[in-house]
Amino acid sequence: MSDVGTVLSTIISGMLLGGMLALTALGLSIVLGVMRLVNLAHGDFLVVGAYAGLFFLKFTGIDPLLGLPVIALLVAALAVPLYGLLLAPLGERGAEAQMMTMFAVSIILENVFVLAFSADTRSIERDYATLPLTLGSVTVPLIYVIGFAIAVSLILAVHWLISKTRFGRDLRASAADAQAAETLGVDVKRVQMATFALGAACAGVGGTLIGAAFQFGPSSGAAYLLNSLAIVVLGGLGNVLGTLVGGLMLGFLQSLGGLTLGDGYRDLVGMALFLLVLAFRPDGFLARRRS
Amino acid sequence: MGNLKSIFRAGAIAAGASIALGLGGARADEIVVGASLPLSGALAGFGSFQQWGYKRAFDEVNKAGGISIGGTRQMVKLIIRDDKTDPNATASNTETLISRDKVVAMLGSCTPALVNAGALVAERAKKPMVTGCDPLEVFMSVRKWNYVWDIFFSVPELAAAQFKALTDLGVQTNKKIAIWHDNGPDGQAVGGKIWPALAKEFGYEVVQNAEFPVDNTQFTSIIAEAKSKGAEVVLGDAITPQAIAIRKQMASAGYTPKILNIEKGAEPVQFAEALGKISDGIFVGGYWDPSFPYPGAADLAKAFESETKLTSSQHIADSYAAAQVLLDAIKAAASTDPEKINAAIAKTDKTYVVGPVKFDENHTAKLPIVSLQWQGGTTVIVWPKSAKTGELLFPLP
Amino acid sequence: MKTLSGLAEAGVLLGAFILLWFASDFVDDYGLQIAFRVLIYLTLAESWNLLAGSVGLVSLGTSCFVGLGAYVAFGLLNNIDAPLPLVLLGCALAGGALAALVSPALFRLRGLYFTVGTLALAELLRLTMVNVSAFGGAMGIFMQKDPPPLPELYHYALGVALIASLAITACARTRVSVILRAVRDDEDAAAQMGVRPYRVKLGAFVVASALVAIAGGVQATKLGAIEPYGMFGLQWSIDVLSMVIIGGVGLRLGPLVGALFVVALGEALADYPEAHVAIAGLILIVLIRFAPGGVVGFAETLSSPTRKRATA
Repeated sequence: MSDVGTVLSTIISGMLLGGMLALTALGLSIVLGVMRLVNLAHGDFLVVGAYAGLFFLKFTGIDPLLGLPVIALLVAALAVPLYGLLLAPLGERGAEAQMMTMFAVSIILENVFVLAFSADTRSIERDYATLPLTLGSVTVPLIYVIGFAIAVSLILAVHWLISKTRFGRDLRASAADAQAAETLGVDVKRVQMATFALGAACAGVGGTLIGAAFQFGPSSGAAYLLNSLAIVVLGGLGNVLGTLVGGLMLGFLQSLGGLTLGDGYRDLVGMALFLLVLAFRPDGFLARRRS
Repeated sequence: MGNLKSIFRAGAIAAGASIALGLGGARADEIVVGASLPLSGALAGFGSFQQWGYKRAFDEVNKAGGISIGGTRQMVKLIIRDDKTDPNATASNTETLISRDKVVAMLGSCTPALVNAGALVAERAKKPMVTGCDPLEVFMSVRKWNYVWDIFFSVPELAAAQFKALTDLGVQTNKKIAIWHDNGPDGQAVGGKIWPALAKEFGYEVVQNAEFPVDNTQFTSIIAEAKSKGAEVVLGDAITPQAIAIRKQMASAGYTPKILNIEKGAEPVQFAEALGKISDGIFVGGYWDPSFPYPGAADLAKAFESETKLTSSQHIADSYAAAQVLLDAIKAAASTDPEKINAAIAKTDKTYVVGPVKFDENHTAKLPIVSLQWQGGTTVIVWPKSAKTGELLFPLP
Repeated sequence: MKTLSGLAEAGVLLGAFILLWFASDFVDDYGLQIAFRVLIYLTLAESWNLLAGSVGLVSLGTSCFVGLGAYVAFGLLNNIDAPLPLVLLGCALAGGALAALVSPALFRLRGLYFTVGTLALAELLRLTMVNVSAFGGAMGIFMQKDPPPLPELYHYALGVALIASLAITACARTRVSVILRAVRDDEDAAAQMGVRPYRVKLGAFVVASALVAIAGGVQATKLGAIEPYGMFGLQWSIDVLSMVIIGGVGLRLGPLVGALFVVALGEALADYPEAHVAIAGLILIVLIRFAPGGVVGFAETLSSPTRKRATA
């Protein structure tokens, strides 16, 4: 195989990347936990964030990483009317109705992307996005380190939000039992809307990071949806810190798969792992209690 | 018990649907040709170029008064359907174009999977189809075609171009090659078989041959391995999103070989736009450039750029030429009978914007290959020397 | 009373089958192609309904079995040159076998997790087919012989759709429907009543998957060339869900109306290539929002606002 340096570099890069993806997965996780909704447009929110980052840079010249708060607000602002107009009225119906509505949103978004921005593949071009970081025999992409740092900070911030604030308490109540929460005075619809917006914002910020580290196009969303699902399941539905752990684990195992079988097998390893965890520990590896 | 009223309503809907489907036929005095293109989905970029090329050829014929069939001048009409980059849709679109819209001939989609799906339908229905965007050997490997004709480049020639270029330009490297290719039909042919054989022939040592799925996003292991083995020449075959990912991840991994070539993916201008200055120095094989000495080549690119305000791509040329070949054949046959049109296509022997087009017994017409290199956001022909439009940039910056 | 109703329905289906069988002599190619598509979609939608409407399992894994049926069909056709009915039987067996294989793991998941699990399974199979070149990899496989003529393929599709519809009739209009509904509504209570929920779910899953695999085999035979992105792509799972929702989840006529609607919509919008995807999405959203029972449910409430809906 290859030397120690290569192996270490690959594994560490994989874990850093997993941490970055965990941020986007977090968005999916909280929406799943609170609304029991598989948001099929999740990947497209990510792509919205990527385009937002691209054009933010183009029109203001400011680094998109500095503009992340703006991007987060933008994507959240897009999500709020989606919830109000499309999802809220379907609250009492079965899971399929909301899921298919979000699927319809997904294909509309993809079509809009093509019409507005053309089908070209894009990438956010920054110097730090293509520099390596070398420590001894280990080399990792600098952007992964930056992205990881940002992702972890945000995940911790969301964790604090959910475990220490009143909104967080309401969110956890709605996730555990919406009807009971309602009777206790929680405005479940407002909590769901805020959760949906927060989930979209996480996806959007993750999208900007991914847009800088890699490339994206109108139909890139689907692949990230599946990756996020895998991380969510690994970490446990609605478990914020679990998502981070899930991302690290997925990154680690995918790197192993890539090293031993070939890069093409990374996604395969991810899916296989996903299924195994679903089969044997559907509440995730960390499931003891919800956070 | 089954609600009778709802059965009636279902029937009404079905009837309404059938009526809606029945509408939209073509007029009797038009020559109708169909095309199914990827206008959405992953290959939407190619589809839009093809659409422009096809439409332009048809508009030109109509502006000149149409085609004369049996004494009367008839306009030509092109019906385009979106196959969403799904071969199932290409097949059903082609079927509908033939059976509902009664097209007399078809123009092809893009990339082997889609082209094949539509071509098989046309072949079975005995309707002539002219297509580009399908490497010749891949096209020939499907079956012996009677009604489908392909204008594109030959895979071994494309594969050899890079080696020939390196030799002719006198480039000095440690002769260690890493080959990275996707597992699509042309990726496997070029990267899996032809390049390794040519490498041996030209005296290179293949230190790595890695295959990845067409839509792969992570190349860390592949890049790491090539870097540790010290390959100074990297030959790749992947589509554009992957090509961009590869280049970016190479930079992030601190791996800069002296020569980097990415077939297919590095050709469109979006590649350079997405990467900025790290696209400089990358090689890619091309089958058309506005500088080619063929009639209308430069004008075609200019017209495209002024009409669409986008940078032109070689894909406007093979699509434009394919449409022209078909229209010329209809003109020569002076008939809308598919057999006569098919026979006329076989007799094509003319120089179009892509060069001389003449089909061989396998229904293929070959386009010449040049080696292009990205410099400052535009492509420069660096090989063969006779077609050169710029100087070689070496090594990779 | 229930059994009579079931026989009557089966009778209607057989009558329609015979009519439609001979209709192929009077309809042109275009009509046959449209009919083929509707029939394949109908089969997929009925199978989905069997799982969801009766037993409460929302599956996103249709593409898994479509692709399996397609590849098995080509494997048999190319290597053994078996006659088509035998090949389709092979597809059914393969579909059923895969369903049985994954059900121990899949049925541990309830509700949402099951849905996500089927999605993961479909993706896993697709990724495997893309990576493993023994099955053609991204290049796919071609059928060595020419496919049968269109009317023959139409008859096969008709036959498959009939079997699927009869299966639904058997489940919806006989005593079986009570058992299915018991498992759907409250699995634990049903278990206490002596029903074996696991076996019931397994049976439904195996039958549904076998049907989907046959449909995949027929579709592949018509195409003549298959590859993983087209046959294992998620668009199958999503299309089925669209159809069922548009037609009406769990309603007896839902799949038929949904299939007709989706095919008709596809045809109508095909002339507007730039925006048709967005328009289709908008229509889907509007339907979901304003017609909760789908088109059939909407029609039923129009005709008799107080009467209960005919469920499957």
